[in-house]
Amino acid sequence: MSDAAPDPFGVGLPLDTQLSRPRPGSVLLAVDGEIDTLTAARLQAGVDEAVEAARADGASVVADLSGVTFLASSGLAVLIGAARRLAELGGRLHLVAASRAVTRPLQVTGADALFDIHDDVTSALATARFPDVAPPPGEVGR
Amino acid sequence: MSDAETLDGMSTVEVRTSATAALIPTIRAVASDLAARADFDLDAISDLRMAVDEACATLVDAADPTSVLQCRFLVRPERIRVHAEVETAKADTVLSTDTFGWRVLQTLADDVEVLHEAGVDGRRATVGIRLDKSAGDVPR
Repeated sequence: MSDAAPDPFGVGLPLDTQLSRPRPGSVLLAVDGEIDTLTAARLQAGVDEAVEAARADGASVVADLSGVTFLASSGLAVLIGAARRLAELGGRLHLVAASRAVTRPLQVTGADALFDIHDDVTSALATARFPDVAPPPGEVGR
Repeated sequence: MSDAETLDGMSTVEVRTSATAALIPTIRAVASDLAARADFDLDAISDLRMAVDEACATLVDAADPTSVLQCRFLVRPERIRVHAEVETAKADTVLSTDTFGWRVLQTLADDVEVLHEAGVDGRRATVGIRLDKSAGDVPR
């Protein structure tokens, strides 16, 4: 697809992803928009960046999907792939999912079992740690 | 689909777009609107919107680039039947149903069926998906 595509709908709906580090040891990927077959590639790019940060710095990954208003199987596949890669690194993918547009697809497909799902970013960041499997003794109960 | 099924005096909505993924958001918005107005519960509205998206995405993948995507909604008491269809370049085009998206579609809809039609009398071959969704939870 060319950058000068005359079709205003050519690239699909807006989907924004933004990576930040709200506290040491955690990366937060904020996602806003509709995730479907066209926009899933943009989600993939954001998720790849977040997983790379987890791998390089040992950071936990929280994906804030509060701003997601549609989630198709193509988006679910991206999230599931990221959860698998994080699991190989000893981590979990933490999702902030409050709206039905996100929770229903996760629930219907059974994918919710693959993630740690939180109602808001604060509680996600409070819980998320990396690696998730065996936290150092000093970290327990923090 | 026969005219008798379409024109039975009940609410029928048809949306026709170019067979491109970029226009599927418009179709799924129509699906969502119709389900809401037909008093579907909130989970069923979400499921229908997603099911229509999956069906259309599957069809667009198989469509001839110059095809139209035709999506017909038959709004009936307590259920909506969706019939989506595209033209294919080849008569023997088959939909891939061994995908994650297809499994999701089967989970979301109460019933799904693939419809192939060979082109006859100069008409192009088509492939379609029919799906049914009821207004609330049904036992599966």
